[in-house]
Formats: sequence, structure tokens, C-alpha cells
Amino acid sequence: MSLVDLIYLSQKSLRSNILRSVLTSLGIIIGVSSVITMISIGAGARLEVEQQIERFGSNNLILRSQSSNNRGVSMGNNSVNSLTLKDMEALKNELPAIAAIAPRVSLSTQIIANGNNWLATVTGSTNDYFALGNWKFENGRKFQEDEINSGSRVAIIGKTVQKNLFGTDSPIDEVIRINKVPFTVIGLLDAKGGTAWADLDDTIIVPLKTAKQRLVAKKFPGDQIRSMTINVSSSELLFKTEKDIDTVMRKLHKISANGNPDFVIRNYAQFLNARQESSRVMSILLATVAGISLIVGGIGIMNIMLVTVTERTKEIGVCMSVGAKKRDVLLQFLIESLMISLIGGCLGIALGLGVIFGVSEYFNWKMSLDYMSLVLSFVFSSSIGVIFGFYPARKAASLNPIDALRYE
Amino acid sequence: MININAITKEYIMGDNKLLALNEVDVSIKEGEFVSIMGSSGSGKSTLMNIIGCLDVPTSGDYFFRNKNISNYNSNMLAELRNKDIGFIFQNFNLLPRLNALENVNLPLLYSGKNVKERTKLSMEALENVGLKDRKDHKPNQLSGGQQQRVSIARAIAGNPKLILADEPTGALDSYTSLEIMKILNDLNSNGITIILVTHEKDIAQYGSRIIKMKDGKIIEDKKNVSS
Ligand SMILES: Nc1ncnc2c1ncn2[C@@H]1O[C@H](COP(=O)(O)OP(=O)(O)OP(=O)(O)O)[C@@H](O)[C@H]1O
Ligand SMILES: [Mg+2]
Repeated sequence: MSLVDLIYLSQKSLRSNILRSVLTSLGIIIGVSSVITMISIGAGARLEVEQQIERFGSNNLILRSQSSNNRGVSMGNNSVNSLTLKDMEALKNELPAIAAIAPRVSLSTQIIANGNNWLATVTGSTNDYFALGNWKFENGRKFQEDEINSGSRVAIIGKTVQKNLFGTDSPIDEVIRINKVPFTVIGLLDAKGGTAWADLDDTIIVPLKTAKQRLVAKKFPGDQIRSMTINVSSSELLFKTEKDIDTVMRKLHKISANGNPDFVIRNYAQFLNARQESSRVMSILLATVAGISLIVGGIGIMNIMLVTVTERTKEIGVCMSVGAKKRDVLLQFLIESLMISLIGGCLGIALGLGVIFGVSEYFNWKMSLDYMSLVLSFVFSSSIGVIFGFYPARKAASLNPIDALRYE
Repeated sequence: MININAITKEYIMGDNKLLALNEVDVSIKEGEFVSIMGSSGSGKSTLMNIIGCLDVPTSGDYFFRNKNISNYNSNMLAELRNKDIGFIFQNFNLLPRLNALENVNLPLLYSGKNVKERTKLSMEALENVGLKDRKDHKPNQLSGGQQQRVSIARAIAGNPKLILADEPTGALDSYTSLEIMKILNDLNSNGITIILVTHEKDIAQYGSRIIKMKDGKIIEDKKNVSS
């Protein structure tokens, strides 16, 4: 008997009991949708981490000033700028694990150009800022040595600023007024896109010296700075260097080991680890659900197939009387259980896609669907169908023609 | 065509043995129309099932077309039933989910014929029993006589040499019974060997030979002069 004929006969008997077939595949449906969701969550987390590294650079620590609340009163983040360029030099000298440091001062202010008006964050920093933050140039160039040293009024702008001030026109060599001070645009950065919190492309970078002289002289007097991005030479040294920076900074700022520091170190890797960890916990949970429901689903299939074999004993006898071999009967019932589990597989994939779509829309979790998970679902559900359908099918095939025919 | 030597069929029910067939000898030639009669429980169906290779005897030898069936395995027996033997049952035994044409198709499916060939053969068989226009009807959309005709079509679709009919008219009224017997008679005229089990004397008269059984033995076996 050909496969096409077997499938034709199988779908006939399944269709005569469609509700039963679908209910039987419920376990498979839940199992498969869990598998798909699980894989997507894992892949999504990995993708998000990769993207974050892409955006913020890897192996970076952020050192920021923070008002020390010795008297139990927080003065707010901006009230004190405890970090200085001297701190930066000291860190560089004392900790060889530090590959580079980009200092930063910043302000939010009005930008005027081309008759347009836009509020943007202006950063004063060095060329290291671009390398450490993984910024690429769409157009134009970095700062030149003499521009950095002389405090030239040159600026590099992000995509969002370009869009709002110049539309699609090239901003290079145009003049923009930052807080009424004219700057010449020398570079345009590649787009990075937004995070949940901020539009990274809504940015303007000018040389540190220029910023301190022309824009934030009052806010950051002397050699005060807002923060620094510290690049560590290797990821293994990241956590050790974080501790070393803490020690050095406490020494520089004369803060005891258990005193409240006037700075804070942000370790981005920590955040990423937490993100990965939570998706891992979720995946384990889903894997458990998937495993249990696939087994329960398999037993459900076995159960219903045993019932089917009993119900159709006489029919099996009739088929044998007209020439069905054991193999024909075995295949017929195996294909039926395979079809039930594949129905479950397909509905499970549909449900899984729904869940993935819903979760990523609703919770703003990044979920990435890969084709492997679809292939895996089919492999899973079909092997469940074959494994758990085998015993009932063999039971049917081993019937004696005359006993089956006489069965009432 | 059929040579049966000292075939015994024993059923063990708890402590006592039951001899359904007791050293039966019989041989049937190609083209014969044999009617088997006998009281209920005399072993007629048991003999038919053994002849039809649905059941195996406890002891004795069975030669079908000069081949010893006793040492055939289940696949070989299935093939024999598929190619050489057609069954007609008292209660029709059609598959309820399949329509008439698909039911007739069934033996051809197992013999691996392609769609074109088997549709042709099945349609011919249905035409032979006069049910070509009912090919799309399910068994529950057919009368008893029509169902039996479909099952005859199924039995003859694969061009078997032997047809076994165990009380084919047992569930039918006398008029419909005559229709069925006419079809069997025509098949026999075309050279198909027929073995028929019946309780009715006038139905048995269609046979060219009548065998009577009692308590698992053949007690009478003679030519039917009136046929
Ligand atoms: N599977 C079985 N197990 C036990 N005993 C059986 C079995 N099948 C048949 N028998 C017994 O064997 C004997 C012969 O049965 P068989 O079916 O051949 O009778 P029959 O001549 O066809 O009767 P009927 O005219 O009523 O159909 C009966 O006594 C029956 O009880
Ligand atoms: Mg009987």
C-alpha cells in the first residue's frame, strides 16, 4: 500500500473524529509552543546583549560623580561634580588594565540652525569617546589634534539632530548655534537607534576644552568633569578593575573603605548578565513545561490510539481479510498517531508565534524567531507521535485476522 | 484446487476441549459451486475460515492449488487472501467511513495497484453487481441487499479464483436473496469457484454439490442433481 493511500485513509478516520484528534494533541500543542517560545526568548536575549554591546561598546565601565549623602540627604545627581581630569590621569597611571578613558561633560540645550530649533544633549569629550562608544561615522571626520588643543568650535552630530535641523541635507560644514555659540559641523555619526530609555542619536559631541570654555564653564569649573567611560583591556579583568577603580578613587578622594563614596561605577556587563540570567530562568521554566507537556501529550496519544485500535478491531479484521499485511496495519496506525501529533505541532507553532508576538509587543522583550525552532518543533512532535503511537499500532498489527473479524 | 486432509480445529475452553472440526477431509475442484449445510455449531464457519486462510487448523494439512499452506507465514497468507480469495460475510463487513467505490478499492490498495488501474477494476466490479450509480454512497446510505452487492464487488474486484460466502443471504429477505444468488451463479458460470454456507435448502440448491456437516464432521457429500 502506498504512502499516499495510507495518509488518505488515516485522514479519513481522523476527520471522522476531529474534536477528539485536536483534544488529544493538546499536550503537544502546549509542549511545542513552549519549545518555540523558549528558544525565542533565549535567542532574543542573546541578540539584545549583542546589540547592547554593539551600542555601548564592550568591556566598558562608567565612572560618574555622585553627591555623597553623608548627612543622609541626597543632593541630587547634578549638584556636585566630584570627578576631575586629575582623577582620570591618576587612574590611567595606576591601573595598567585600563586601555583608554573618555572623559565627559554634558548639558541639554537649545540648538539653532537652518532656521530650525532643537533641544539636544551636548557632550564634551575626546576622540576616545567614539571608539569606546562604538560610534561610526556616516560622513565627515573626528576632531583634529589642533582643534582639541585650541578649543575650536567644531561639532559632530547624531542622526536625530541632523534630521531635525537639516532634514536629509548634509550637515557637514554647516554652522549650528549651541546655546547661541556658533559651531561648524565636521562629522555625522551613523544611526544607533533608540533604547527603552533614550534616543542615542539625539546627540552632539564637541571637544572637551571647547565645551568647558564656551558651554559649561559655570557648571564644570576648573578641571571638573561629569563622568568617564573607562575601557578595560579584557573582559576577564572587568570586575577586578571595577574594584581597583573603587580603591584608587577612595584614596584620591580620601574616603574610607566603608564611607559613602562621591562617585558611582556602572558596570554594563552586570546589567547584561542579569538580563541573560533572567531569560535563562525563563527558558528553564519553559523547558520544564515543554518536557512535561510533550510527555503527557505523548501518553494522551498512546491512550487515544489504544482506544481507536479497540474500537476498530473489527475493521482491522476486515482489512486483513482482504489482504492487509501486519506492516500495512502497523503503518496505518503509526501514520494516524503521527498525524495527530503533527496537527498538535502545527497548532503549537501557531500558538507559539502568537505568544512570541504578544510578549514582545506587550512586555517589550526582544524575541527572536529562528527557523531551527520550527524544525525542532516538527522533529519533536513527530517523534512523539511515532514513539507513543508505536505500541498501539503494534497491538493492532499483531491481531489475529479471525479474532479481529469476530470481535464485537 | 482445495485439498484438505484430516484437519482438526480444537478450542480449549478452561478445562474442556471443544472439537470444532474433527479430522475433516475434503477436496474441491476448480469451478465447483459447493454449498455447505448443517446445524448451528456444526463447524461450517470454522471450515470456511480455514479454507480462507483467516484461521489456522490445530492439525492436518491444507493444500491450496497444490501448495501446502500449513507452513505459510502471515505475510504469505495475507497475499493469498488478497490475490486468490474473496470473502462475502453475512453482515457485509463494509468499512463505514468509506463510500462504495472506496470499499471495493480496499483489496486493490493492499495489492499495490495504481489509482487508474484500481478505479477501472472497482468500477467494473460495481457494474457487475449493478451498483455503478451508487459508488459515492456510504454503507449507511445503502439497503442491506445493496451493501451485500458492494461486498460482492469488493470480493471480485481483484479477480480471485475462489469466493467464500458464509451465509451471504442470512440477513436479507427472500427476494433480495435471489438477486444475490443470481450474481453468485453468474460468477460461477464465469469459472470462479464458490463455496457457500447456508441454512436454507433452496439457497443450497444453487450449488452443484452439497456438503452436510454435523459435530465437526462431514456426514454427507453429494452431487446436486437438480442444479
Ligand atoms: N473462538 C472460538 N472459541 C471457542 N469456541 C469456538 C470459537 N469459534 C467457534 N467455536 C465453537 O466451535 C464450534 C463451531 O463453530 P462454527 O462457528 O464453525 O459453527 P457454524 O457451523 O458456523 O454455526 P452457525 O451456523 O451458527 O454459524 C461451535 O461449537 C463454537 O462454539
Ligand atoms: Mg457460521
